Amino acid sequence: MADPVLSLVDARLSLDGNAGRVDILHAITLDIHAGETVGLTGPSGSGKSSVLMLMGGLERATGGDVIALGQDLTAMNEDQLARFRRDNMGVVFQSFHLIPTMTALENVATPLELAGHRDAFDRAEAELAAVGLAHRAHHYPSQMSGGEQQRVALARAAAPRPRILLADEPTGNLDGANGQAIIEMLFGLRDRYGSTLVLVTHAPELAARCDREIRLRDGRIEGAALRDAAE
Amino acid sequence: MSIAWRIARRELRGGLKGFRIFLACLALGVAAIAAIGSVRAAIEAGLAREGASILGGDAEMSFTYRFADDAERAFMDQIALRVSETVDFRSMVVIDRAGGVERGLTQVRGVDGAYPLYGTVVLDPPLALAEALATTEHPGAVMDRLLIDRMALTIGDVFRLGTQEFELRAALVDEPDGASGGFGLGPRTIVTLQGLEGSGLLSPGTLYDSQYRLALPQGADLAALSVAARARFEDTGLRWRDSRNGAPGVQVFVDRIGAFLVLVGLAGLAVGGVGVSAAVRAYLEGKVETIATLKTLGAEGHTIFAAYFMQVGLLTLLGLGLGLVLGAALPLIFAPLIAAQLPIPIAFALYPAPLAEAALYGALTALIFTLWPLARTEHLRAAALYRDAAGGVQAWPRPIWLMAIVALAALLIGLATWLSGIERLALGTAGGIMGALLLLALAARGIRALSRRLARARILRGHTALRTALGSVGGPGSEAMSVVLSLGLGLAVLAAVGQIDTNLRAAIQRDLPTVAPSYFFVDIQPDQLQPFLDRVTGDPAVSRVDTAPMLRGIITRINGQRAQDVAGDHWVIQGDRGVTYATSAPPPEEIVAGTWWPDDYSGPPLAAFAAEEAAEIGLSIGDRLTVNILGRDIEAEIAALREVRFENAGIGFVLTLSQNALAGAPHTHIATVYAEEAAEAAILRDVAGAAPNITAIRVRDALDQVASALRSLAAATSYGAAATLVTGFIVLIGAAAAGERGRVFEAAVMKTLGASRGVILASFALRAALLGAAAGVVAILAGGLGGWAVMTFVMDTTYRFEPVSAIAIILGGALATLLSGLGFALRPLAARPARVLRARD
Repeated sequence: MADPVLSLVDARLSLDGNAGRVDILHAITLDIHAGETVGLTGPSGSGKSSVLMLMGGLERATGGDVIALGQDLTAMNEDQLARFRRDNMGVVFQSFHLIPTMTALENVATPLELAGHRDAFDRAEAELAAVGLAHRAHHYPSQMSGGEQQRVALARAAAPRPRILLADEPTGNLDGANGQAIIEMLFGLRDRYGSTLVLVTHAPELAARCDREIRLRDGRIEGAALRDAAE
Repeated sequence: MSIAWRIARRELRGGLKGFRIFLACLALGVAAIAAIGSVRAAIEAGLAREGASILGGDAEMSFTYRFADDAERAFMDQIALRVSETVDFRSMVVIDRAGGVERGLTQVRGVDGAYPLYGTVVLDPPLALAEALATTEHPGAVMDRLLIDRMALTIGDVFRLGTQEFELRAALVDEPDGASGGFGLGPRTIVTLQGLEGSGLLSPGTLYDSQYRLALPQGADLAALSVAARARFEDTGLRWRDSRNGAPGVQVFVDRIGAFLVLVGLAGLAVGGVGVSAAVRAYLEGKVETIATLKTLGAEGHTIFAAYFMQVGLLTLLGLGLGLVLGAALPLIFAPLIAAQLPIPIAFALYPAPLAEAALYGALTALIFTLWPLARTEHLRAAALYRDAAGGVQAWPRPIWLMAIVALAALLIGLATWLSGIERLALGTAGGIMGALLLLALAARGIRALSRRLARARILRGHTALRTALGSVGGPGSEAMSVVLSLGLGLAVLAAVGQIDTNLRAAIQRDLPTVAPSYFFVDIQPDQLQPFLDRVTGDPAVSRVDTAPMLRGIITRINGQRAQDVAGDHWVIQGDRGVTYATSAPPPEEIVAGTWWPDDYSGPPLAAFAAEEAAEIGLSIGDRLTVNILGRDIEAEIAALREVRFENAGIGFVLTLSQNALAGAPHTHIATVYAEEAAEAAILRDVAGAAPNITAIRVRDALDQVASALRSLAAATSYGAAATLVTGFIVLIGAAAAGERGRVFEAAVMKTLGASRGVILASFALRAALLGAAAGVVAILAGGLGGWAVMTFVMDTTYRFEPVSAIAIILGGALATLLSGLGFALRPLAARPARVLRARD
């Protein structure tokens, strides 16, 4: 079997809060392979978003290893992590996290610019058109609805053709119709670029669309279910 | 207890965390004005308390060109317990050295044995004055340290004044009446009147003033004595001063400077107002949810307004209190330092009046700058709870609030104008501040629009740091307005001071000496005039020599009425003026109105008056002037008005009389000599060698003195501008702090998208520097306009843009914002993206 795209080996995460040290994740070990779609599920506070953040290098593990595309993320500094994401990853958040001082087009073009693409804005325009927002290119996030903002966020994550797509409850802040549209786009992107998709979700029907579901509880993996395409 | 007050109280339980900038801005502005006002009050109280000591007596009677006559002496002896006679004039200290003769200008004071009536003359070595001035082989003298050093004298050296030799016995450290004299051209030398008798410097016609200081009985009625003395002797040229106002020149100066600095302080307060407004706006933006919830629960607009108005009101009181404590305490803390800087007595204490003035300004400023954001809360709708764009914080206030803001601003300007006592300057300053604020606000809008446009420019694509910086300056939530307003106003004041200062110095140092004479020679006796002319006109290095007969006189009456009643406090009738006579008419183009008298005129005395001053006083052809010259009244009719140009430092007399009017009056001549600089020393040596009584005033030295006085004024203004800048910097820090949350988020998203810390830092640095530089550019524009206006309309001279200080100001602005911006960039750069982003989910 080919090497996994993402590996967590005995990964732990503890945070120092006002009430003392809190252990968020306990010895998580998992592998994700190229082209897989994986749903991370579990009740609130189970640690599923934290696992996703470790995978994206947005949070630093306090123990164990996080290996992405053969590279140990725990050994990288902030700038190395940023460059790694720039070249390999796209992230979508529940609250969209568009930069409020930039228009939709500028938001989408930014990762392409950071990667040094000379045609960043042309590609960004194409990405926006792909999510049906060509007409909103010059609007600021505050001038758009939640569904539109999430489509921009999706376009921004997908624009650099990332090998890994991470999505943290991408439909959590959206109504059913908008949520459904986002899901279709997310899976459409994954199909088009062959990316590996890891998403955190509360929605069983979304988890059911993934190749594999990993359930977490109290910072540990509770169980995993593997589905084949026929299921 | 009203519901609004209950809401306000509950809201304030959250503490003052969001209001540190609000309090700092208000307290600093109020403190600056309170401190300036307190120091001014302390100086005025000191001058009043020490009036007798500063004046050198309870009262002083002084005369020009002459000593008191018997009737005047008898009057003094009748009202005073003791009388001290002194004389004051300019002369040259002359030293014979092996290498030649050296000369230095000095202001001589000849004193009698009774001097000083009050206070002590402090000498180094610490001798008694009588001992230092006693005659042994030569009469003794004491001299200002400055002149001792300049002339390289040592104690025991012998020097000459006129034809008399004196021995230097001590350095003059302090003369109690030093501040009363006003502006002297040279450092002080004190000798005895007796010692001066052999100097030839007090002969009839030479320029000197005599003063008689009077020690009056306890409880003497100064007002009544002043009236009595004036009634009896006024037309003889007597000037009366008493301890109620010992140093009128200093008093007026302190008053003017104090008032001016209060106006500069108001500029600081206006900058503080920008910070106060920004703080209230930021606070209310954080309260959108609370306000929307309150509205959902049924609170009406006016209740919400009242609740937040009360909160801001309480905080304003706290800010004012802090400012007043600081403003009252600072002068007391720095009392020894301030006292050491000023040669006048200062009575440091707590003065309520300037504190009240500062509090009033502070309260009005806080109201003006907070009403706008407060009034907008009325428009906030409950829908803001679930929709961002439910209006409210961006809407305009209702017209009634706009009118209230305008009325309050008018009240503030009116008060400042009335309390400063310098109406035109106060209105000019207020107009300048408002104009600058308007210009800056427009500029901030322009900068935002331009940045938005540039951020989308194709040429910037790929330059992520610059593009995101421009996007942030132009986009929503931009700090452009607060930064440009706060920093810009302080920089504009500084720029205006810089432009005016440089232009004035240029006018004095570069432009003037090319048309000004090298030397003024005064006290040339009539029999010395021809030898003097022979020496200078024969010199090939001399391009021009002008001479004129010179007397001093006081205009006492105009058309038979007291001059003050006609001309008010115009400078021409303040004290004595130079008066000349002329036999021949000036060139016809100089005569503006009337006709000049014939060369052989022998009728009743006629006068020619300077046209501009005549217009200011309201004099016209045919008016009669009474001029007291050497105790004698001369009445002359104005026959002509002539153009007199004072700005080239040549000879210019306001009043010219027909020759027959002054027949027989003892007089001297003055002369101006235009010579090449290299020849100046030789001319001085020859003229002074032949006629020791002639005093030479080097125009360059005199202009240097004027320039140095202007420099002190510019420095005082710069300190005021610096206070404005400090407030501006606090506002900047406030803006940077308020924007930190936004930058933490932005940095987290940028990191997620793959931006390195270098790119993010560059973007933050660029937006700060861009805003600072923009504020600087606008400040240069506003300051340049101010400088041009002052030079053109006040100074009546040409204005030239001065680039060095301008560039420094732009760089300074960029640096200030860069520092405050970078100070608040550390947290965003260090924060882990996951924590920041999840905290927002």
